[in-house]
Amino acid sequence: MSAPILSVSGLSKRFGGLQALHDISFDVARTEILGVIGPNGAGKTTLFNNLAGLHRPDAGTIMLDGVSLVGLKPHRIAGLGLTKTFQNVALFAESSVLDNVLIGGLLRHGVAEARAFALHCLEQVGLAGIAQKQAGELSFPERARVEVARALATQPKILLLDEVMAALNHAEMEALMALIRRLREGGLTVIVIEHHMKAMLALCDRIIAISFGRKLAEGSPAEIARHPEVVAAYLGRAHAV
Amino acid sequence: MSRALVALALLAAALLPLALESEGYAIHVLTLALLFAALGQAWNIVGGLANQMSLGHAAFFGIGAYAATILQIRFGLSPWLGLVVALALGGLAAALISLPTMRLRGHYFALATLACGEVMRVIANTAAPLTGGPAGISVPFGAEGVWMMRFEGGRPIYWLMLGALVVVTVVFEVIRRGALGYRLRAVRENIAAAEAIGVDTARVKLQAAVISGALTAALGVLYAQFNFFFDPDTVFGVASISVRIALMAIIGGIGTAAGPILGALIVIPLEEFANAALSDRAAGLSQLVYGAVLIAMVLVEPRGLMALRFSWTFRPRRASA
Ligand SMILES: Nc1ncnc2c1ncn2[C@@H]1O[C@H](COP(=O)(O)OP(=O)(O)O)[C@@H](O)[C@H]1O
Ligand SMILES: [Mg+2]
Repeated sequence: MSAPILSVSGLSKRFGGLQALHDISFDVARTEILGVIGPNGAGKTTLFNNLAGLHRPDAGTIMLDGVSLVGLKPHRIAGLGLTKTFQNVALFAESSVLDNVLIGGLLRHGVAEARAFALHCLEQVGLAGIAQKQAGELSFPERARVEVARALATQPKILLLDEVMAALNHAEMEALMALIRRLREGGLTVIVIEHHMKAMLALCDRIIAISFGRKLAEGSPAEIARHPEVVAAYLGRAHAV
Repeated sequence: MSRALVALALLAAALLPLALESEGYAIHVLTLALLFAALGQAWNIVGGLANQMSLGHAAFFGIGAYAATILQIRFGLSPWLGLVVALALGGLAAALISLPTMRLRGHYFALATLACGEVMRVIANTAAPLTGGPAGISVPFGAEGVWMMRFEGGRPIYWLMLGALVVVTVVFEVIRRGALGYRLRAVRENIAAAEAIGVDTARVKLQAAVISGALTAALGVLYAQFNFFFDPDTVFGVASISVRIALMAIIGGIGTAAGPILGALIVIPLEEFANAALSDRAAGLSQLVYGAVLIAMVLVEPRGLMALRFSWTFRPRRASA
């Protein structure tokens, strides 16, 4: 295997008395689709926030293509090619869908080019038809897809998707999974957080499971699906396989 | 608004003083309205686009007025060159104020900037050898001429203010439609998301503050040339400048180019009218009436008169009962 695009080592983050992340280490290979699973409150979103620079880790290293990300501001990290979506959806609510995505495009383009590229990104997620709608008026599934388009508009090397499929119906989910696979064919690396186990097992090359801030298991979808601790901690309750 | 309409309004505004008495009261009030429209527009860059409610813009205004006037008194410097100095000093002051305050939100930002303006007022009152202190400072009299901005009658300075308003409005529109405008909107609507998709939010706020501060200081120079005399409490005043500037945009409609213009054209004549009509009845009565009208306006439509216009246009049948 060639050098990993992202290398995380010994990552820890504490919120007051809560150890949200504890000594997390993993690598992500170039053009891999890595899944992250774990029960609610396990620390998945916190992991993304630390990678994207929205939180500063207490300990550990994060290397993106050999560049250390720890301590960099989020916009610098986005500039280096790592962009995340927001689980709770953080769109610019008073702006149009197009403008939301356009602002992502401004990272690497002028306004006119960014607008054209934003339309392209909206087509990819199937939302070109509502480009002029105000983002605050959209349904939750639509907003999640705008999040994806906006992140794509920054032209990342590695894209972090935080439960963007949570509210999608079956067809929308299939379309998004097809898009993720297509993007990977085009050279993108993706980390996906999702609860839908069936989708995760079908989509991901590899999955890591975390629970109470610790990495519980790491392996192929097949390995994860029969890992006793994962089954006990996670699959046992919300078995969707 | 269509281009033709804007051109027509501009032409009318340019020709209007020819119909007015050149030394008259009307042209004086209109010139003041143009100045405050321009000030509101400069404020609109931070207040409207980034939604940072600065109540300290008097700091820049006063810095411009004092710097150019002192340089003119001491070295005979042309106010045109004073404008250049004011742009630089206003931008610098804005950067110095912006760096520590930009992380503050809402009324914390408003109060911190308000304090900055007050600090400048105290300094100007104290540094009497330089500023003339509380007694104020006068623009030196000299021969008439464009180079020293000394004109006969009220028309040239009216046109100068109109030109300034056009310049500031163009700057505002170019920013609003450009990359900086989009980034400022992102900052205003969701700062964490803006950062995460690559917007350098600190830099964007700094850029907006510097442009806004520089323009405000330049307008301070024009005020000095318009009024000939001023003191620290006037040009660094909270009520007389800082709040008044913000009100132009807030009353008219924040974040739009037409907002501060509409606001100033309504508020400044209203102030003058209230002063003239009520000042001989009881001290402070005009201020009270003025304040009451402003509160009523804000209560009726917090998004400003521009929004009121839109609601009339788009929901015309609501009041048919
Ligand atoms: N900014 C924060 N401040 C304090 N606690 C937080 C913060 N963000 C997350 N947490 C806590 O950290 C834990 C992990 O949360 P999160 O990463 O959102 O979990 P997940 O995404 O796996 O559901 C939770 O207990 C949550 O309450
Ligand atoms: Mg989460």
